[in-house]
Amino acid sequence: MTVALAVPDVIVARAQAGDEAALEALYRAFETPVYNLVRRILRRPEDAEDVLQETFLEVVRNIKQFRGEGYLWGWIRRIATTKALMRIRREQVRETESLDEEPGKPGMHVGANLDLERAFDRLSETSRAVVWLHDVEGYTHEEIADQMGKTVSFSKSQLARAHARLRRMLDEGAQA
Amino acid sequence: MMHCTMEDLGAVRAGEGSVWARRHITTCAACRGELEALFQRVAQLKALPALHPPRDRWPAIQATLRAERSRRRRTWGTWTGSLALAATIAAVLLVQPPRGEQGKLHAELNQAKQQSATLEDSLQQYDVDGRVLSGHAAALVADLEDRISMLDGTLAQQEHVTHGGDAALVKLWQERVGLMRELVNARATRARYVGL
Repeated sequence: MTVALAVPDVIVARAQAGDEAALEALYRAFETPVYNLVRRILRRPEDAEDVLQETFLEVVRNIKQFRGEGYLWGWIRRIATTKALMRIRREQVRETESLDEEPGKPGMHVGANLDLERAFDRLSETSRAVVWLHDVEGYTHEEIADQMGKTVSFSKSQLARAHARLRRMLDEGAQA
Repeated sequence: MMHCTMEDLGAVRAGEGSVWARRHITTCAACRGELEALFQRVAQLKALPALHPPRDRWPAIQATLRAERSRRRRTWGTWTGSLALAATIAAVLLVQPPRGEQGKLHAELNQAKQQSATLEDSLQQYDVDGRVLSGHAAALVADLEDRISMLDGTLAQQEHVTHGGDAALVKLWQERVGLMRELVNARATRARYVGL
């Protein structure tokens, strides 16, 4: 999903002045792109909803600091991405991540008619984040590494592994 | 025959492939097919339909925002109340004003504090929460409130290190009076509702 949203400057100015109607207008303009982004990264819908809420709380609290350098969507997207990645890190502390690194795990059989979306859903959250940010949102490996607190090599190898995994799952799905 | 890895293909897709990988793809049908499939996967990912939030989260955000604003306003009210009290105390203490230059500063300080307190009272006439402001007026009011808050912080520090009569303190209080006057004017002359 490519987002090409332009919000009138007057709405931004009013939101910066604390006007609630303008803040809500911003929320309505960006709720779907933000939710879509974080939902593609995070496995659980309820986590994505929480991140959506956290993102907009930060947006309304800090909109005054948005100076109009770059697109508003770029600024909001960065907040959303940071929060989604933070949630992944928190989850990783609690549990060892990644379904795609445990192909033998029960319930992981990839059946017939598997499409790309379902295959993508089966990737680990880290892999999903790298694939989505790089391939769909257009982030560079440097930007991903920076946001994830990892190296550029990590981002590149995650992307390659994720695509190899997607390809295998799609092949298996086609053969089943 | 050695084939391209997924990393090689990704690099080629990004226009950063090694000389070997780029040359290999021109001669190897299998790797060319893999590269094509990679391009298609990415195109399909980009074309996935947007996922919509299942519930409206705005009411929760709005409630949090309102609670925070109300808390801030209470804090600000406490500050201004303290400053008004300080002005009253200063007025009582100045029953016997010092003489000379110092006395002049004392008088100016007292006057500025009293003006500030009066303007503070005037501001109470306007419903801070209920009135709908135009974008321009809201921006002006927010800016003035921010500047007054910052000034109050400076004043609070200054009051602790100076015991009245200080020219810098007088200047700060006079600045506050100026801002308060602008705020009262902005509130008084405001605003009509402009719909989105």
